Amino acid sequence: MRRLIENRFGLLALVLVALGALYGVAHVSRPTPVAQARPQAVRAPVESVTAVCPAPSANRVSVVTPADPERAQTAGSATLTPMKAAEGKSGEDDVIDRVGLLWQRDIAPGGGPLVVDATGSMAAGLESAQTARETSGTQRGLAGVRCVEPGAESWFVGPGPAAAEMTLYLANPDSAPASVSFMVYSGEGPVLSERGTGVVVKPGEHRVIRLRDLAPSPLIMALQVSTRSGRVAAAVKAVLGEGRGVDWLPVAAAPATRVVVPGIPGTAGKRELYVATPGERDTVVRIKAVLEDGSYALKNKETIEVPAGSASSLDLSTGIGGQPAALVLESDVPIVAGLKITGTGARQDVAFTAGAASVDLGSVVADGRAEGKQTSWLVLSAPFAAATVEVRLLPTKGAAPAPVEVTLPAARTKELRLTPPKGSKGGFGVLVRPKPGSGPVYGGRVLDEAARDGQLVTAQPLAMARIWALVPPTIDAPGVVLP
Amino acid sequence: MHSVTAIVVAHDGARWLKETLAAVLRQTRPLDRVVGVDNGSRDGSGKLLTEAFGTGNVLTLPRSTGFGEAVHEVLRRLPPAPGQEWVWLLHDDCAPDANALRALLGAAEQDPKAAILGPKLRDWLDRRVLLEMGVTVSRSGRRDTGLEPREYDQGQHDGIADVLSVSTAGMLIRRDVWDELNGLDTELPLFRDDLDLCWRARVAGHRVLNVSDAVAWHAEAAARRRRRIATSDEHPRRLGRRNGLFVLMANLPFGAFVRSVLRNVVASTLRALLFLLAKQPANALDELAALGSVIGRPRRLMRARKARRKGRKEGWPAIRRKLTPPGAALRRLADMVQGFLAGAGPVDSAGRHHAAADRGHEEDGDELLTDSGGVQRVFGSPGVVLGLILAAITVAAARSVLSGLLSGGHLGGGALVPVTGGASDLWRLYVEDHHVTGLGSQTWAPPYVAVLAGLSAVALGKTWLAVGVVLLGCVPLAGISAYAATKRLIPYTPARVWLAVTYALLPVATGAVAGGRLGTAIVLVLLPVYMALATRVIAGSRRAAWGFGLLLTVGTAFVPLVYVLVAILGALAAVSFGGIRRGVRRSLVIGLGTPVVLLFPWLAEIVREPGRILHEAGLRDGRLAGVGLGPESLLMLSPGGPGVPPVWATAGMIAVALAALLLRRHQMVVAIGWGVMLFGLLVAIVVSRIGGEAWPGVPLAFAATGLLMAAGHQAHRIAEFRAAGGLRRLGAMLIVLVAFASPIAAAALWVSRGADGPLRGDLSDPLPVLAALQSEPGEGTLLLRPRDDRVGYTVLRGRGPLIGESDLEPPEEPSARFATAVAGLASGRGSTYVETLASFGVRFVTVPGPVDPVLRRALDSQPALVRVSLSETGGLWRVPGQVTVPPPPATASALHRGWLWAQGGLLVLILVLASPGARTKEPAEADYADVPMEEGPRGRRRAKEDRVPA
Repeated sequence: MRRLIENRFGLLALVLVALGALYGVAHVSRPTPVAQARPQAVRAPVESVTAVCPAPSANRVSVVTPADPERAQTAGSATLTPMKAAEGKSGEDDVIDRVGLLWQRDIAPGGGPLVVDATGSMAAGLESAQTARETSGTQRGLAGVRCVEPGAESWFVGPGPAAAEMTLYLANPDSAPASVSFMVYSGEGPVLSERGTGVVVKPGEHRVIRLRDLAPSPLIMALQVSTRSGRVAAAVKAVLGEGRGVDWLPVAAAPATRVVVPGIPGTAGKRELYVATPGERDTVVRIKAVLEDGSYALKNKETIEVPAGSASSLDLSTGIGGQPAALVLESDVPIVAGLKITGTGARQDVAFTAGAASVDLGSVVADGRAEGKQTSWLVLSAPFAAATVEVRLLPTKGAAPAPVEVTLPAARTKELRLTPPKGSKGGFGVLVRPKPGSGPVYGGRVLDEAARDGQLVTAQPLAMARIWALVPPTIDAPGVVLP
Repeated sequence: MHSVTAIVVAHDGARWLKETLAAVLRQTRPLDRVVGVDNGSRDGSGKLLTEAFGTGNVLTLPRSTGFGEAVHEVLRRLPPAPGQEWVWLLHDDCAPDANALRALLGAAEQDPKAAILGPKLRDWLDRRVLLEMGVTVSRSGRRDTGLEPREYDQGQHDGIADVLSVSTAGMLIRRDVWDELNGLDTELPLFRDDLDLCWRARVAGHRVLNVSDAVAWHAEAAARRRRRIATSDEHPRRLGRRNGLFVLMANLPFGAFVRSVLRNVVASTLRALLFLLAKQPANALDELAALGSVIGRPRRLMRARKARRKGRKEGWPAIRRKLTPPGAALRRLADMVQGFLAGAGPVDSAGRHHAAADRGHEEDGDELLTDSGGVQRVFGSPGVVLGLILAAITVAAARSVLSGLLSGGHLGGGALVPVTGGASDLWRLYVEDHHVTGLGSQTWAPPYVAVLAGLSAVALGKTWLAVGVVLLGCVPLAGISAYAATKRLIPYTPARVWLAVTYALLPVATGAVAGGRLGTAIVLVLLPVYMALATRVIAGSRRAAWGFGLLLTVGTAFVPLVYVLVAILGALAAVSFGGIRRGVRRSLVIGLGTPVVLLFPWLAEIVREPGRILHEAGLRDGRLAGVGLGPESLLMLSPGGPGVPPVWATAGMIAVALAALLLRRHQMVVAIGWGVMLFGLLVAIVVSRIGGEAWPGVPLAFAATGLLMAAGHQAHRIAEFRAAGGLRRLGAMLIVLVAFASPIAAAALWVSRGADGPLRGDLSDPLPVLAALQSEPGEGTLLLRPRDDRVGYTVLRGRGPLIGESDLEPPEEPSARFATAVAGLASGRGSTYVETLASFGVRFVTVPGPVDPVLRRALDSQPALVRVSLSETGGLWRVPGQVTVPPPPATASALHRGWLWAQGGLLVLILVLASPGARTKEPAEADYADVPMEEGPRGRRRAKEDRVPA
């Protein structure tokens, strides 16, 4: 020991041994990087919903909330109230409190928007829609639209005011004023209009705006309705003219680099795609069709060029006409997309679908019909991965029929004819729910009627039902003040 | 025709008397008469007088007789002499030069109005030192010689000067004037009687002259306490002060008298406070007692004023010119501050009878000796240059942070919340019982908030400035502190420079800056100071122990782990050194006990939750700590996380420290250094393995300190090697190269990478301006930020969070309810969550940009929320309905109040104990060894202890 201490290298050796020991300790005790269990969001039923049917006059309004055995039944109801500014509610309210059954009523002509307010168990998954059927005049055709929740931003893609009479319906059911501005992207670029900014919609007020006043020239357009403050429910109706059809534009998915346009029916007729990019870069959008037998790039229609800040259209009739389909559009910059479906016959009717989100938590359609010559179709697509979907019809009364399971292979589209069980009268609602483990499912519902002078048609992409909300895990962290 | 009578008054002055008598008898102008007075001496002074002057010429008086009284007694018995009669007053400790009397008389002949003349007084022991050349008095009653302390007589003041007064030691006074003025006032048995007499003489129209050709050497035995005073029991200091005040107040005309009373009451109180701060309570007591005894006996004062009434007002303008000019007080204050900074006592004791001659300059830096102008002195010091270079490196590295700060951003990021608020906000946070922040909290604010409040107050209330300087400046500050702290440990300056630079640029330092770790930054600056103080604590210094305890308290408040590390090392030191030196244990107990006492309630909480000991001040964020830090990182002193250089950056210093192990001289220090290194490393491993979110910065800084000490202590051998030449010289160069590679690499990497990490200088206030403007007082803003699949939230009440608020704990039950409501709100499922939030006083909900679309949709779907704005910088929603601000509970915690007062009191006490006090060094003790000392043995030992060099 003494020799070790007196040796010149003794201390160095001791230190090195100690350092080695510490290295060993640190090495052994080093925790293996474990994939930390990420906190999962918890599903919770939605507890209140407000939706606005923009112009239900002479329409059939359908309201349905799917029953769900997973959910405890609590008290809840939905009320339909005609929108009135400021004054208290009138006596015309309809109260709906039957979960799982479709409620339908034909609204008398005249009157403004209807507000659907639901709380409790009636709120979870509440879906409402208005559908009009005219057999003559400029309004001839089937025209349906989902009653939408007020929001801060909506996109609509379709023909421009030069090609059709486009009308924007705005309603503010909230208690705070909404300051709304519009932006129109036409085929020639963004249309700047002084009248497009700062429209204030007061609480309980609704406005009808002719888009021709904002931008008279565009043949095709993408319309962005956004609020600087407050929320507004927006809807756009397109009247193409006598014998050329009428329908509402569905709300398109917000700009994204990948947009899926689902719900294209297998009937014959023209298909016209509209794509717009609100950004400041030109882009080339790659188009892929997801059909019954697979997913293809369409011949000679592989891409569409969209200049910055403008909209483009492309006729896809020869590519997907007569086949149920969904389109997957991919681009380097965010785009919005919509599609016009034209019915067959001497006098035409149109329908619109648009970019939509996948229906991971399920989707509800309020208005389904199978009476006389009316047929309801469900077009489901699984463009990226195989999926299994459960489809359940929700009748107006009585017990619901057993659900149907539909298997969708990856990159395939299936068209489903919705037939209610024998004996049930009137319309029905539809609940579409992907099974756990399924890939993203997109879809649309198409309603057509084979009238003598030409097919009547309306369509809507499936929107994610507001049955469940994901309650995110929260943490009280003072550090959130830092980016 | 002059006739001179010399009167020598002796009182226990045998030691000087012999020489004095010989000098008197040796005068070249022979004396006409000599009289000796013995005031009851017990040391044979009477016998000496008798031997010199003969029995008939010596008068024996009782012991309690004062100087003035004795002279009066002599003159009463002495018949007048023919011609112009002069009386020459001499103390027993005042030996005049042989020519003194001749010179005085010569001057008297030239100026017929001169009635009182005095010689130039020099020190008895150091015969060249000037003591007095005429004396004046300041308006606060302080005697003023107008000389520098220890000023040598080189003839610089020579000549015959018209002065306010001269000392009675060697005073030549015309006997008729004496009789006219009734001589020295017997109310003033000692001190300032001369001033009084001369003042009256001047008022009566006579002149008082100081004659520099006449020289006398004076021992000032009474004032310097070389002998006991028999006329009074009081301390000469108090006596001098009292008499000074008395003379001033008795002789001033009425207006000036009133002003003087007011002035002196205020000034004395202030001085007494200063004395207390300087740990000279006896001086403080004397100061107050002197004032009290003057104005507390108004009748005596009135009697004295009455006796001096004649001509007082008329003579005042002439006197006033001779008083100390007012500017002198300021100059004295400046000297005092300078002295205090140099480590001397803050105030010299009042009423010293001479020009504070024995105030030595034992404290001095070598730099001071080579004094050549202030600028050169400052920039010639390697420490200053080092600090400037490090500051330049820091500015270069922190350019983006600084530019953000300069353009009005907030400093924050990592563990640091965006710095908002000022010193008063922090102070309120520290003292308030109920914090309204967040959901409200009743926890006591952590003590580092008080430290930061103090620092902010120093920075003129700007917290961001204080935090910025401490955090970004921790590199230069650590360098300077390491350089200064190693002054006594490492004599070789290049080694100190290397050590300081390397220490300042440790990975811990850059990591602490990038991570916004204020606590580590402060500890990094304090660690070298701990080390320097610890060596003095181990040497047994009590004052160093108090200072150490105080600084350790500061460090512990920010990083509690420091205390554990220091305590373990302290315990080891106690075991090793406790037996060797006396008082070490006690000093250690003081040093380690102070933080425990000062931080008691907070430390008790930490003991209850031991996990908290690993955390430091600020936000806890797992992303900032490298989880599963590699063993090589730890061994290379790299704590992981953002802002640390690659592991090889420290290789040079570790290699050099290993090489230091090979040198056989002073192996003990190297072994201790390496021991500290290994200990720090072990703690760092433990912290990084069990801590989870803990960052092993501070233990690694400890380890680095030990390592650098080991290497730096041996560095002087490099110079030897270089001198040896040949291969050794080459080796020395190589070692220097390797050693400096570490700091240079660290600096280069830091500058190129930038000092910012999570830390940024351009943060915006987390509270949107709209929300801040539109919120009523007390209303909150809920801030949501989705991160890592979770939605983090916090509630801001009218301003961004303060540093320290993140450590407050909200009450449990409401927090759970609030968390549920926030989760519900973020889910967008509707329901009454907004109402719940409103019941907590939440008026706004804000999501900083870029706003997560899911969250935006959820908030937009809430009918009870109104969107105010949405942009790239964030979204803001408002609750339009009723918002109830929860009222604060009306509980004022007496316990908390009491503790805060106690803490403040303890802090002041410890500050006083730790601050440099008076040096009670007694000069030339050997010369006066037989003189009874009034100080007890304890006081002397203390004095010695404080002078132990570390």
